[in-house]
Amino acid sequence: MTPYGPVAIYLAVALVASLAFCILPGLLARKKPNPVKSEAYECGVEPTSDVSGRFPVRFYLIAMLFVVFDVEAASFYPWAVQMHALKLFGLIEMVTFVVVLAIGYAYVWKRGGFQWR
Amino acid sequence: MLAQPFPLSDYAAILPLTIVATTPLMILLLDLILPKGAPRRDAAVAVGIAGLLLAAYVLVRQYLAHQFAPAFGFGFILGGFSIAFSLIVVAAAIFSLLMVLPQRDDEKVGPSCALMLWSAAGAMLMAGAGDLMTIFLGLEILSLALYCLCGMVLRASPVRLREARESALKYLILSSMASGFMLYGMALLFGATGSVNLAALQAIPAGNPVFAMGCGLFMIGVAFKLGLVPFHVWMPDVFEGAPLPVTAFMSVVTKAGMLAVFARFLYGVLGTDHQALIVPVWIVAGLSMLVGNLAALSQIDMKRLLAYSGIAQLGYIVAALAGTSTLGMRYALFYLGAYTFMNLGAFAVVALISRDQEEDSHLSAFSGLGTRHPLLAAAMAFFLLSLAGLPPTAGFIGKILILASTVAAGYQWLAWLLIAGTAISVYVYIKIVRAMYVPVDLAHIREIRPLSYAPWIAVAVCAVATIALGIYPAALHDVLPRIR
Repeated sequence: MTPYGPVAIYLAVALVASLAFCILPGLLARKKPNPVKSEAYECGVEPTSDVSGRFPVRFYLIAMLFVVFDVEAASFYPWAVQMHALKLFGLIEMVTFVVVLAIGYAYVWKRGGFQWR
Repeated sequence: MLAQPFPLSDYAAILPLTIVATTPLMILLLDLILPKGAPRRDAAVAVGIAGLLLAAYVLVRQYLAHQFAPAFGFGFILGGFSIAFSLIVVAAAIFSLLMVLPQRDDEKVGPSCALMLWSAAGAMLMAGAGDLMTIFLGLEILSLALYCLCGMVLRASPVRLREARESALKYLILSSMASGFMLYGMALLFGATGSVNLAALQAIPAGNPVFAMGCGLFMIGVAFKLGLVPFHVWMPDVFEGAPLPVTAFMSVVTKAGMLAVFARFLYGVLGTDHQALIVPVWIVAGLSMLVGNLAALSQIDMKRLLAYSGIAQLGYIVAALAGTSTLGMRYALFYLGAYTFMNLGAFAVVALISRDQEEDSHLSAFSGLGTRHPLLAAAMAFFLLSLAGLPPTAGFIGKILILASTVAAGYQWLAWLLIAGTAISVYVYIKIVRAMYVPVDLAHIREIRPLSYAPWIAVAVCAVATIALGIYPAALHDVLPRIR
């Protein structure tokens, strides 16, 4: 078997399994729909509006800022674990990273990026 | 186990890049501190240019000191090759920044300058990229900033705003798709060799199907970013919609970065063993010369016209690499340098005749320029004749050199296509020269009153460089040794 053989088997299994999961419930399941069952699931809260509605573009900015700070938090973890091994070099790298982020943060703040307009 | 931190010399190798990448932070801070109005705009452009000049100084120092070495485990390779391409990128960025100044929008000048510098840093990373990951990293830094820049039109009319948004969206979607092609190609190349290092890719014997497929997909990505013919349709629309300084910037910097990657891949990986794999690239280059010039014939918008002419010019530059000879590489670099000056010179003239709030890139803005402003008209005519390849300009010498290298490499048909393309292009460029000098009723022409004299600096420097390169065609001679 070539080195790619297992990959091909994996892909085939994944394809068959996922197709089966999609098709079999439709064929086998008993269907007794009622209004509560068919409404959108919102973590137990009763949905207030249609899920496929339009929403303002300013959420995009919030989402983008979230990603930036999420990435920051994610990069802190490996550094925190290896802080002693990385010594001064790691500290300098991390401070540089935070300073760059801070300048961006200051810019967004001053330009009113956090105001809900 | 932890890898050792890289030695300081590695950081010294990317010093110019670091300078270009940190200057925007200063621009953003100044943007917050300074009061609205002219000081803020001038400071943004001045700091940007100062950073670029400092980077250029460090690059020249590195070149003169011959500190050529691979850095970061062959991730970045410092050498004559990367320095030459970086210098072209830095020069183009300076000229583009000069064109930002006439546009008086306090909110957008600072961020525009910052994004342009970040984009230039991406191109400089591509110029020295020694493995597939660095190539992709550079490409994304370059492109991400450009997606924003295309839509950042300054104080515009609604029509103009819509055009700019169309430009940004088109660029985002099509460019991401090309990145996808390229990334898939890289994945296959990695699959064939088990390494992302370009030097390791070289060891693959000819005829490996995975390698051939990877090369094909990689080349599609390259051809798209260079705007070579079957993949060129995005260029005119994006160039027309984007703000003028951004169009000028894109026309050189994205091409220079991608050309560096292409040349390194061609010389460092494919070499002479895989000539059959790259024949399609020469065909594509030949097509670009013809289609680019033919399509430019009917254009009435200057930015669109220069976009099509850029497609053809890139065709010439890629043709110089046919046969992968040492001389071909030097000639391609020479022509890229010449193209930088003549093309950005022409863009700077367009920036000078633009009025407040609107960019006058329509061809009718040029009619009667010969009587209105003889000096500006003369400069424009000179740049256009250089783009057409008439003596005594850099464009002429550049084309002669490319013809010599393609014929010497045994690609006569490519040389013939180049001559045919040039013949068509003369008509394209002369059309504008004619519009400037044919007598017209002066009552119908408006006064040329530039909003800023900064683009004049770009016009002057580009004109001098175009003449100088035409009279004394100097090219860096130790460009190739460290290409791998």
